[in-house]
Amino acid sequence: MSSVTSTTTDQDALLRAGIDRSLRHPVMFFLTSGAAWLAVSILLGVIASAKTHHPSFLAECAWFTYGRVFPAHMNALIYGWGMQAAFAVIIWLMARLSRKECSAPGTILAAGHVWNLGVALGVMGILGGHGTGMPWMEFPAFAWPVLLISYFAILIWSFIQFRVRPEGHVYISQWYLLGAMIWFPWIFITANTLLHCLPGHPVMGAGINAWFRSALLFLFFVPVAIGTAYYLSPKVTGRPVFSYSLAKLGFWSLAVIAPWAGMQKLAGAPVPYFLPYVGAAATALLFIPTCSAAVNNLRTMMAGPDTLASSPSLRFTAAGLVGLIVLAISAVLLNLPGSTLPVTQFTLSGYGFDILAIYGVFSLIMFGATYFIVPRVTRREWLSRRLIKMHFLFSVYGTIFVAVVALFGGLLQGAGQETWQNAWSNYARPYAVTITLTWGLILFSNVFFFIHLTLMWLRLGRRSSHPTLLVSQHHTSSPHGEEGDIDNAGPGHAHAH
Amino acid sequence: MSLRTFILGLTASFGAAWLAMVVVPYFKMRDLAPIADPAAKSATPIFYPKRTGRVADGAKVYAENGCYLCHTQVVRPTYAGNDLYRPDWGGLKNDADRGDTRRETNAFDFIGENFAQIGTNRMGPDLSNLARRVETEYAVGSDPAAWLYVRLYNPTANPKLWNSTCPPHPFLFEKREVKGNPSKSALPVDVGAGFEVVPGSDARALVSYLLSLKKDHPVPAALDFAPKKKAGDS
Repeated sequence: MSSVTSTTTDQDALLRAGIDRSLRHPVMFFLTSGAAWLAVSILLGVIASAKTHHPSFLAECAWFTYGRVFPAHMNALIYGWGMQAAFAVIIWLMARLSRKECSAPGTILAAGHVWNLGVALGVMGILGGHGTGMPWMEFPAFAWPVLLISYFAILIWSFIQFRVRPEGHVYISQWYLLGAMIWFPWIFITANTLLHCLPGHPVMGAGINAWFRSALLFLFFVPVAIGTAYYLSPKVTGRPVFSYSLAKLGFWSLAVIAPWAGMQKLAGAPVPYFLPYVGAAATALLFIPTCSAAVNNLRTMMAGPDTLASSPSLRFTAAGLVGLIVLAISAVLLNLPGSTLPVTQFTLSGYGFDILAIYGVFSLIMFGATYFIVPRVTRREWLSRRLIKMHFLFSVYGTIFVAVVALFGGLLQGAGQETWQNAWSNYARPYAVTITLTWGLILFSNVFFFIHLTLMWLRLGRRSSHPTLLVSQHHTSSPHGEEGDIDNAGPGHAHAH
Repeated sequence: MSLRTFILGLTASFGAAWLAMVVVPYFKMRDLAPIADPAAKSATPIFYPKRTGRVADGAKVYAENGCYLCHTQVVRPTYAGNDLYRPDWGGLKNDADRGDTRRETNAFDFIGENFAQIGTNRMGPDLSNLARRVETEYAVGSDPAAWLYVRLYNPTANPKLWNSTCPPHPFLFEKREVKGNPSKSALPVDVGAGFEVVPGSDARALVSYLLSLKKDHPVPAALDFAPKKKAGDS
């Protein structure tokens, strides 16, 4: 930065401020409505989980029977929170990295409302008893074209920005985000047209569904998370990426391996024999792209241990990356065809794996990005260090509990099931109790996250030039530093970005 | 790297798997070749399990109410799990007429369904041969449909299932005032004098579907992966 003249720095700062201003409403809309859906989804998750050990809880009401609440929980988590958080981060990061202001915030905002309407009608459709019965695609059939069209209306602008960007180096985050932007419609259209419009063999339909679930995790949520981490870790620490060739290896190995994964869920079902076993091999091989990305980012962060301790963005991102390593290890351990695959195939560990990927990896990194992006687009700082710390504490420990209990509880449940000499019994019950309690804790933390975020959207954040850090560094008078200097995103403060 | 190269790279890496894992197998299996069954007594000697009547509606109720979240419908071959060893999952170990009828699930077992409810978790038992179990074990000497109605209305009402985690489904039933003679299909539950509980149309459809779950009919030689040993073989 020292070689750059002050004029260019000012221009840069102006450009960044312009980009942030152009995207303020879309980004805040997606994050806030996403956080609201997250709270709804977790509430539904608590209800669903409670019913697995106390089946008579709310049993009189058709809308709250387990078989409807659980799919509503998963679909709200994926399409309500996950996709919308990804939209917010993708449109902001792609604009910043392509150095282009957003030209269509109104269209994005309108499409975002349509998306929310689609998700709301879909969730109500499931609860009202019109679910399709295909996991993660339970929304009634009218919903998927609505979601697809609004998806294009939201993200096409980021693609155009990339096309017309000033020439130059394409950063690794852009690769991951562009990849995710292209993969999602491809897998979404494939699964929905094949299952809704071109009825084929019912068992192969179940296979496509299993492939869709895996592809959604590893070709959308995981790349968006990794791309965001590759932006945040060098940006916040101010150090270069630990190994850029490792980053490229991680991207292309993900692109090559992930599309083959997923059908191991159908091992033993009457589909062509190679499908489940290629799926199991590919899922185990996903260890390479996920672990290399996680290690590369963590090594980058470790270059600045002080920043790691004080920055909420980095702390959440680091937790998500550790989650990614756990995900990589469990992808291998759960899918060994000779030993663990038959045991875990029909157990809680499938749920544990999904929650680990969506919450323990993707959501934690999205929280990190939220703590980074929101002060920039609203030009206000986060209100309370304590709220952020609580959010971190409950989210991280909550995720560890849900994921570990479901993953390893699933192994024990499977071992019980496979002991065919014993009469059938439900071996999942004790783990279900733990999962309910933990979802309760996560719900608690996310209600506060939602309130904090809404206050920021209403521009009630602190007007200060000092970011809200987790570790108090100076100024004994105020925990957040001196008040007063409100022009923190304007010209002359380039170093703050 | 230009956008063009990037997109070509993505298309190649994704497209290969997309074709090999999804599109080609899907369209191949769409036209599953019929399998000859010389033993079949029908006019066309091919293997084709029947699935007709209210069963299709019941499959929809099964999907809408999320039965697939806790129950699977697949009996895996022995290389992929221990399902076949259970005495009553893949068929019956000691069927009165046919002896050991246990076999793994095959692709023809799902013909006529929209989506095979293979399932994701086993918080309840596999249902591939539920109807067979209800008829020969649970509801011996009584009406299998009536047994299933009570089971769906309140699973834990049956003392043998006191620790069942299956949710009750009272919303599939109708509670109404008794006018004249009580209904023949009224459930044996006490809901106050002058009232009775009868299955609604969804409950009837679901029970028809559940009673159709018998995936143990004899298979032609081409599909029989564990042929019976002849007397004398050891």
